[in-house]
Amino acid sequence: MASDTAVSIPTNMPTTNRPMNLGQSMDDNTSRLDGVAKITGAAKYSSDMILPNSLFARFVRCPFGAASLESVDDADAKKIDGVIEIDIQPKECQYDGQPVGHVAANSPMLVDRAIKALNLKWKKLPVKTQITDTVKEEIAKGDVKDADVTFAAVYSTPVQTHSSLETHGGVVDHHGDKATVYASTQGTSSVRDGIGEPLGLKASDFEVICEYVGGGFGSKLGGPGKELTLAAKLSQKFKRPAYVMCNRADEHLDTGNRPSSMTSVQIGLKKDGSVVGGEILTYGGTGVGKGGGGVSIPSGRYNFQNVNKKHTDVSFNGGGPRPFRAPGHPQAAFAEELMLDEAAALIGMDPFTFKRKLVKDDVYREMMDMGAKLIGWSDRKETGTQKSAMRTGYGIGTGGWGSANPGGNAEVVIHQDGSVESRTGTQDIGTGQRTTMGICTADSIGIPLSFVTVQIGRSTLPPGPGSGGSVTSPTTAPTMMAAAAQAKGKLLDVLAKGSGGDANEFSVKDGVVLRKGEKFLAWKDACAKLTPDGVTGSASTGDGGKGNSQGVQFIKVVVDCETGIVHPKHVIAIQSCGRVICRKTAESQIIGGVIQGISYAMFENKILDRNNGAMVNPNLEWYKILGPNDMPHIEPVLWWHGQTGVKSLGEPPNIPTAAALACAVYNAIGAPIRHLPMTPDKVLKALEGAAS
Amino acid sequence: MNSFAIAQPKSYEDASTLAKDKSYRLAVIKAGGIDLLDHLKEGLIDPDVLIDVRRVRAAGAKAPIDVSGDTVRIEAGTTLAEIAHSAELAKAAPALVYAVESAASPQVRNAATAAGNLLQRPRCWYYRNEQFNCLKKGGATCFAVEGENRYHAIFGDGPCHIVHPSNLAPALWVCDATVHIVGAEQPSIPIRYLYHTPDKGVRSENNLPPGAVITHITCKPAKASGFYAIKEKQSFDWPVVAAAVALELDGTVIKSAVVCAGAVAPIPWELRNVASALRGVDVADDAALTKACAGASAGAKPMTDNGYKVKLLPVAVKRAVLIAAGRKAEVES
Repeated sequence: MASDTAVSIPTNMPTTNRPMNLGQSMDDNTSRLDGVAKITGAAKYSSDMILPNSLFARFVRCPFGAASLESVDDADAKKIDGVIEIDIQPKECQYDGQPVGHVAANSPMLVDRAIKALNLKWKKLPVKTQITDTVKEEIAKGDVKDADVTFAAVYSTPVQTHSSLETHGGVVDHHGDKATVYASTQGTSSVRDGIGEPLGLKASDFEVICEYVGGGFGSKLGGPGKELTLAAKLSQKFKRPAYVMCNRADEHLDTGNRPSSMTSVQIGLKKDGSVVGGEILTYGGTGVGKGGGGVSIPSGRYNFQNVNKKHTDVSFNGGGPRPFRAPGHPQAAFAEELMLDEAAALIGMDPFTFKRKLVKDDVYREMMDMGAKLIGWSDRKETGTQKSAMRTGYGIGTGGWGSANPGGNAEVVIHQDGSVESRTGTQDIGTGQRTTMGICTADSIGIPLSFVTVQIGRSTLPPGPGSGGSVTSPTTAPTMMAAAAQAKGKLLDVLAKGSGGDANEFSVKDGVVLRKGEKFLAWKDACAKLTPDGVTGSASTGDGGKGNSQGVQFIKVVVDCETGIVHPKHVIAIQSCGRVICRKTAESQIIGGVIQGISYAMFENKILDRNNGAMVNPNLEWYKILGPNDMPHIEPVLWWHGQTGVKSLGEPPNIPTAAALACAVYNAIGAPIRHLPMTPDKVLKALEGAAS
Repeated sequence: MNSFAIAQPKSYEDASTLAKDKSYRLAVIKAGGIDLLDHLKEGLIDPDVLIDVRRVRAAGAKAPIDVSGDTVRIEAGTTLAEIAHSAELAKAAPALVYAVESAASPQVRNAATAAGNLLQRPRCWYYRNEQFNCLKKGGATCFAVEGENRYHAIFGDGPCHIVHPSNLAPALWVCDATVHIVGAEQPSIPIRYLYHTPDKGVRSENNLPPGAVITHITCKPAKASGFYAIKEKQSFDWPVVAAAVALELDGTVIKSAVVCAGAVAPIPWELRNVASALRGVDVADDAALTKACAGASAGAKPMTDNGYKVKLLPVAVKRAVLIAAGRKAEVES
């Protein structure tokens, strides 16, 4: 925590470039509470837990897209001093990275050495490495007889890996009758529910800890996962702490992904911009996974009449998908928004006018009006009219997401010494959960944030929701506020009884207890009147408020038409989020979603060797993720109009971005890039096509 | 990674003696250790001795970078960061500064050395992956030929199709650099003879005699020199094509030029035809300059997925020329 370090960094930073976001949030100025801890290394992640006498283990994995493990000779590996266990079973594997067993040893180096010393005989099998190995171009053919004009195209997106900086896995410290589990997870409670069996313990005899987690984006949901499960079994068997974490290659190969997509569209339009018929065929590249490849087009945000939709999942020899930041949506939005821009060009309409008219909900229209002003849409040149080497383009993307409150628990303890604990078992996967819990508590009670200590990420705390579906804040915020209000109520009851007054004469403001609006007691003095147990407020639900999470993004791009390099310059990201608790972490969440969307549009691609199916880029050198010099200027705009309650913010800002960038590139160069990522070779090819 | 001993010789001569010591199974030089660590982690080499020369300096070394009169001297252990920040080099041989500024990341540049940069092994994803026993590692196949070759060579390749990864090498090439060594019969090798194409041998990329150690690099000043890399990512990425250029100018007219491309061949690839075509060209004449650079990819043999490099190379060359001529503002405008 920040108070543990000697580094002095101001926590109140003035806003300089986002004046419009000021004054709407519960807290405008607090910086992420664990920011300093994370930057200085004081924050301890599960991957930092190298406990005394640990054993280490990794899975042994198939190195090809399809291969049969015919024989295993582990004699040499077993001879290595310090190797504890080798367990490998011959089987037929269907993707690079598929586990066939594990090796456990006294150090990570020894594990690597043992794996290298294994003599495994693989028989390679034929592979398919992408959707088009199975599905040749399927042409969409809908009912477009009423149309003035029809448009048809095929769009595609690559497999995107989550690339969490802290890899999958964890540490299990089994003491025989009790255990501590250090998980890297998005669902502390779900780990608790799934780890008891491999531990051989009851829930009351172990604790799951996840105080810090280095990224998940959807890939760390659904229980302990195979790495942590292996750690539990090994720890129980060998009575030592067991450390099982994926290395970077494992992380790219076998922890899920956003499936690839192919979208074949045919739509019919009238000259006035209405869509009167068509068909959309979508394909999800789910590798070996069964399901999970859905593409959410039509998104439902636009008024499509009489457009049929059919989806098919397509297998190939690659790791299966896991939920990834708005599953199904970014790939769908890319196709939908670019398709609409191309259709707009066909009927000679400005895409702003076209989309503004076609979108269903007025909220989008209002957001589009604001965004157009902020980005400078009036500077936009008509698509295909620029001839210079450097061309500027503008694009619009939209996104929509529901808001859910699956229920969670929170507790607030006000101690006799004046300290306040805010407690919930849920985790902070980068969302700023720790910070928002503190602010909700402080704000509900009426005390400075510095009086509050936040405890999160332990299964022994009141269970909270998993961080999936962007439900964390919408669930925990109202719940924590309710718990804090209850605790405050109990404190005021005590004061009322002690002074012979009525509880509703008392209030708390800025850390001072007021009676009938006048200063009554300083906070510490008021709390001193409690018994040594203090008072505890708890809640298990809260009011979710109304409204969904909608967003519109405008992007300005400059394309270097000689090199094919896309330079995103400016992003206006308007995001509805209801009641904002912490302005800075809310803005950060929007910025993060945009960053990931730009990276997806421009660089990310899990590339499988077309002959043997191995991933050729299972590292951060060739699996390219956007870096500081690739960043546009991103302006998050918090939109709270017409909403109450805390809304989803994790996934929504990731939906419109690739779409808006692709539309901007199309506007700039006069030719669409229909296949992500938008690398120079594709831009040059599109320019060539446009020239001819 | 297996265990290894670390030797810390006090001179390059001692380092060379250690490198030739036949009682070691595999002794390798460690300078900044950047590429070495990659190799160790990927299980590509298994040395029993590392010869640490990070703090060794040659006898005649005055400073990491020394520019006196007609000679530029850079020590083997000079870091890329020192080159990038050198005000002297920015005047005497700006191609070198531009080349390293575009390389890697600030953190890597703080540790990576000039000599290490020249001798680094290729980044080909088949070479770097233990699972692929490619030609360069003694196997029978170059997997790029029928596989994923979007980042591979368009010139000088076969039977192996790597590109040489160094930015500094083509920049030093156009400055007519010489690499000075100890532990061999000859005291130096001009950089244009430092590398060989795969048809002359695939197991290594350079011509250093066994056990030879680079002590320093000298080159001629090239005030009108430039370097331009085209990279997919602008942070921490390898170029898809790059070009270094040194000019002799008479006003804005090119009297003579040396042009060398990076990331397109297994060695730095000199473009003599473009150098000829540039003679007499006025850099202020955009059409003439474009025309002179258009032949940069003449003779290129693209692979299935890297044809885009053919289109990009003339652009990189032209921009390097503009930078060399002091017209950086016209680039990307």
